[in-house]
Amino acid sequence: MLINNEFNEDKIQSPLQYTWAIFKNKSAAIVSMWGVITLIFFALFAELIVTHEPSTQYAQNLLLPPYWLEGGSTDHILGTDDLGRDTLARLIQGLQLTLGGGILITFMISLIGSLIGATAVLTKGLKASILHHLLDALLTIPTLLTALILIVLFGPSYENCLLAVSLSLLPQFIRGIYIAIENELSKQYIIALQLDGATNTRLLRFGIFPNIIEPMVTLLNRIFTMAILEIATLGFLGFGTQLPDVELGSLIASSIDLIYLSPWLVFFPGIAIFLIIIIFNVFSEGLRHSVIEGEE
Amino acid sequence: MLKYLFRRLNLLIITAFILTIIAFMLQHWSSGSIDNRNYFLQYIDYMANIFQGRWGISSIDQRSLLNKGLTAFASTLELCFVACITSIIVAFPLGILAGLKRNGFIDYTIMTIALIGLAIPVFWLAIIMTMLPNAVGISLPVDGNISPVFEVPVISGFVLIDSLLAADQYQMRAFADRAAHLILPAVVLSFFLITEIIRLTRHAITMIMRSNYIKAAYAKGLATKQIVLRHVLKNALPPIIHQIRLQLSTIISFAMTIEIVFSSDGAGVWLLTSIQEGDYLALPAAVLIISGFILLSSILIDILLMIISPTKRKALYADQ
Repeated sequence: MLINNEFNEDKIQSPLQYTWAIFKNKSAAIVSMWGVITLIFFALFAELIVTHEPSTQYAQNLLLPPYWLEGGSTDHILGTDDLGRDTLARLIQGLQLTLGGGILITFMISLIGSLIGATAVLTKGLKASILHHLLDALLTIPTLLTALILIVLFGPSYENCLLAVSLSLLPQFIRGIYIAIENELSKQYIIALQLDGATNTRLLRFGIFPNIIEPMVTLLNRIFTMAILEIATLGFLGFGTQLPDVELGSLIASSIDLIYLSPWLVFFPGIAIFLIIIIFNVFSEGLRHSVIEGEE
Repeated sequence: MLKYLFRRLNLLIITAFILTIIAFMLQHWSSGSIDNRNYFLQYIDYMANIFQGRWGISSIDQRSLLNKGLTAFASTLELCFVACITSIIVAFPLGILAGLKRNGFIDYTIMTIALIGLAIPVFWLAIIMTMLPNAVGISLPVDGNISPVFEVPVISGFVLIDSLLAADQYQMRAFADRAAHLILPAVVLSFFLITEIIRLTRHAITMIMRSNYIKAAYAKGLATKQIVLRHVLKNALPPIIHQIRLQLSTIISFAMTIEIVFSSDGAGVWLLTSIQEGDYLALPAAVLIISGFILLSSILIDILLMIISPTKRKALYADQ
């Protein structure tokens, strides 16, 4: 046997590759990853997938049940609503706005929140004090109230709904990231970096952020879940998207009167929200476990 | 200790000041007044009115906004209290169990249930619950605070207590009726709360079971039960309470949504109808009442936490 022991190359994996190697051994995590990809794919290319326009009314097919029930047709797989509109097309349009809004909010909050949180930790005195008190004031106004205020001032719209949800979730994220950075800051390697004369940016980039990935994943997952729930809640109350656009919460609200006649119109959007949250939670849990195992 | 109390008082005053400015701006905008004095004098006037209890009059039924808002919010609070108590009773033992048997079968079962509970939207569950009595065949009321048969006088605002006070008129029937009206909304709200408390408790217990003093206690030869009762519970409580305090506004928001679905006369229905009828003065009143409540209870919880765990006394801000 010819084994070249002289030049045996040790391949050192980057942290990202290492985490991925652990992640892909977890079957539940991989399944949920494909779930996440499918959901995002559906949301991005909704127009290409659905065969019916969400707003077209098929007058001869009112209140069709899903195709596996008696009276359903395979033309409308999940049935139609009281105006004869295809449920599947409307669900996917709703998915677009709810999921897109949730992802957008999570992204914006993670950018702005990390910036403010890091600033709050690294500054002392008056500036930090003002920041904390403003956040405390924001934290005391419930989402529903913020949304109502914005709606009364600027009128109901999807953008105002997103703004209200972000305003209520931002303080929670900043709280979380503040505590995570603060815990890191007292560790010895950070002090060593500081003694080396590292600037704050360098401290954050190389000292702190690589070490708070795990709490960050948990926090972002939490923010995403609450964002989806709150967007749907505001949509349900009629403060979110305005017609003709639909969103999963407003879909439920529009068919609540029909609940005894065709309950699936209420069930399907709820199940869609349920699936979004379950899939993203399992995905982030898998990611978190791989990050923890990678660190050890 | 004194320094801590002083800090909290400071927090209370500054946050209350910011809140009153928000309320003043809303009031100024919604009343559309053409007052040409500068804003500072107007704010002083507004605050003087607030302290004397003149919060304005609702344009819907000419009742005082302060009175109306407090009565509505008391009903919301009642729902929150009932849901909180039931969910603490259910969730706390489950969370401890999941934390102690981490990564075991029991842990996975409990956490799966908690994940499912988190993923169900509150308002959707509320709609399903309104159908439930009909589907299962039990008779539970699904709308309103209390049957209109009972005319319970408003004394404390909490209908559960008021109906007890009216016992000489209706015996216990009014109370039983109110309790029956409260069951379904409380079940829906506690569903959300239970998942939260299980998650927080499990996390806190796991963190503490890893620490060195627990290892020391094991080395001393204490049984697990003794360790949990003596060391773990006492140290697990502060982080759980602290997280719940951060979520007060979410809980109240969800409670208001549930009330709208069950059409009980709480803060949610009050605000919704006020805005639909164009009575925008209700908004600043709601900001003062609801946010004021959350602020005051946050500070009370902080002081309570300080009494439980003395290490918090040196914290400068509310989040440390």
